[in-house]
Amino acid sequence: MSEIEQPLLEIIAEHAVGLTSPPTRATPIADLGIDSFSIVEIIYEVEEKLGVDVPFNANENPFGDMSTVGDLIDALQNLIKK
Amino acid sequence: MTRNVVVTGYGVISPIGADAASFRDGLSKGRCGIATDAFSIEELSITLPGGKAPDIAERIDGLGPALKRADRVSQMATLAADEAIAHAGLEIDDETAMRTACIIGSGIGGQGSFDRAYYDMLKKDRRPHPLTVLRVIPNAPASHVSIRHGLRGPSFAIASACASATHSIGVCADIIRGGSADVGVAGAAEAVLTYGALEAWNAMRILADETCRPFSKNRNGLAIGEGAGILVLEEEERAKARGANILARLAGFGMNADGKDMINPSMEGAANCMKMALSGVRIDDPSTVYINAHGTGTFLNDPTETKAIRETFGAGADQLVVSSTKSMHGHLLGAAGGVEAVAAISTLESGIIPPTINLDEPDPDCDLNYAPNEAIERRIDVAVSNSFAFGGMNAVAVFEKA
Repeated sequence: MSEIEQPLLEIIAEHAVGLTSPPTRATPIADLGIDSFSIVEIIYEVEEKLGVDVPFNANENPFGDMSTVGDLIDALQNLIKK
Repeated sequence: MTRNVVVTGYGVISPIGADAASFRDGLSKGRCGIATDAFSIEELSITLPGGKAPDIAERIDGLGPALKRADRVSQMATLAADEAIAHAGLEIDDETAMRTACIIGSGIGGQGSFDRAYYDMLKKDRRPHPLTVLRVIPNAPASHVSIRHGLRGPSFAIASACASATHSIGVCADIIRGGSADVGVAGAAEAVLTYGALEAWNAMRILADETCRPFSKNRNGLAIGEGAGILVLEEEERAKARGANILARLAGFGMNADGKDMINPSMEGAANCMKMALSGVRIDDPSTVYINAHGTGTFLNDPTETKAIRETFGAGADQLVVSSTKSMHGHLLGAAGGVEAVAAISTLESGIIPPTINLDEPDPDCDLNYAPNEAIERRIDVAVSNSFAFGGMNAVAVFEKA
C-alpha cells in the first residue's frame, strides 16, 4: 500500500453514503452510492488534504473502466503522478 | 370559471421559533429573537444585533447527504417546506407532483458559501469548493425542495430583495389561477448572518445599534434575521375535494414598482400596491382588518408606510390594527414576507394580533394603532402582508377567512 492510499480511502469513505462499513480496495464502486459529481468533490478534497494537483476534467472520462475502489485509487494515483 | 387559491399549510424557521407553532407562540407573547452577537469567518468578525434561528443542526443532519452539503439557505427552505407540506397533509403522488409548482425565492442566495469561497481564494490562496456554484445560485432552495419532494410543476426563484417571499406567494397563486398548476409550495429563505454580508449591510449605516424599534420615535434601523417561510397554496375546489384543512383564502395580491429610487421608499408606490391587492376584497368593518406592516424600523420606511396605509384606507385607517413583527424576529430580508404571511394568516385563525415590541416612544409621524408591546385579541377577517423592497419593488398579499 502506498503512503497516500489510506488517506485516499478515508476521503472516499466520507462520500460513500451508500456504505454501512468502511470501503476497501475490493468494494465495488457501484456500492458507494456516489454519483459522477462526487468524483469532483473527492478530487478537490484529495488536492486540499494531500497538497497535490489532480488534472481532471469532468467532461472527459478517465475513470471509464473502473469497477472497484482499488481501481479508483489507482486512477487517482496515476493522475497525481502526471 | 374563477380558480380561487387557498392556503392549506405553512412552515417556518425564524429567530423566535424553528417551527410554525413556536413562531406563533413567540408572536403572541412578544418574544424578541434579536441579540447582539459576533458573526465570524475564521479570524474575521463583526459584532451586531441579529436574529439567529434556534439550533437546527440536528434537523439539518437528518435531511440527508445532498442537503447536508447545501448552503444554509437551502437547508432552512427545506425544513420549512417539509413542515408546510406535512401541515397541509399533502400526499404527493405522481399526478400531484406534475401539477405542483415550487416557487421559492431569496434576496441573496447562498451567501455563506460565497463568503467561504472568497475567504479561501483571497486569504488562503486556495480554490473554491467544487459545490460553490450549486450552493450560491439563488434557485438552489427551490431546486432542493423540488428534488426532495419530486415536484415537477413550474419551479424557479424570485429575487426582489425584501419582497422576494411575497412575490413568490403571489406569482405562485397566479400560476395556480392561470391553470399551469393546482398546488404550489411558495415562499422564500434567507441566510445572510455571515461576516461578509453583515459588513456590506453595516456599510449602508442603516442597521440598529441595539434592537429593532418599528414606529417608535427612537428607532434607529433594522436588525437582520435569518429563516424561511413557506406556504402550501392550493386551488380551492381541489383542496375542498381532498378534505384539506383550509387555513385562509388568498383574497388579493398586488405588485408594482416605485420606479423612482434604489433606497428611498415611495408613499404612492406602496399605497397603489395595497390598493391593487385590496381591489377585489370586501371589507365591511375596518376594525376586522390586520396589517402586518413592512415596518423595518428605519427612519424613512415607517412614516412612509403609515402615510400609505392612511392613503389606502382613509378614515378606516384609525380602526384597523397594524403591527411590525420584525420587532421580534428581525428583518428576514427575502424571507420576511414568508414568515410574515404566516403571522398574518395566524391572526385569522386565532384572533390574536401580534404586538410591535420595543415601541416605547410615540412618533407623531407614525400615528396608527400598532398594537404597542402587547398582543391584542380581536376577530380578524382580512389580514394584509406588506413587503416593500430595496429598488422600489412592492408586493402585498391579502388573506381572508376561508
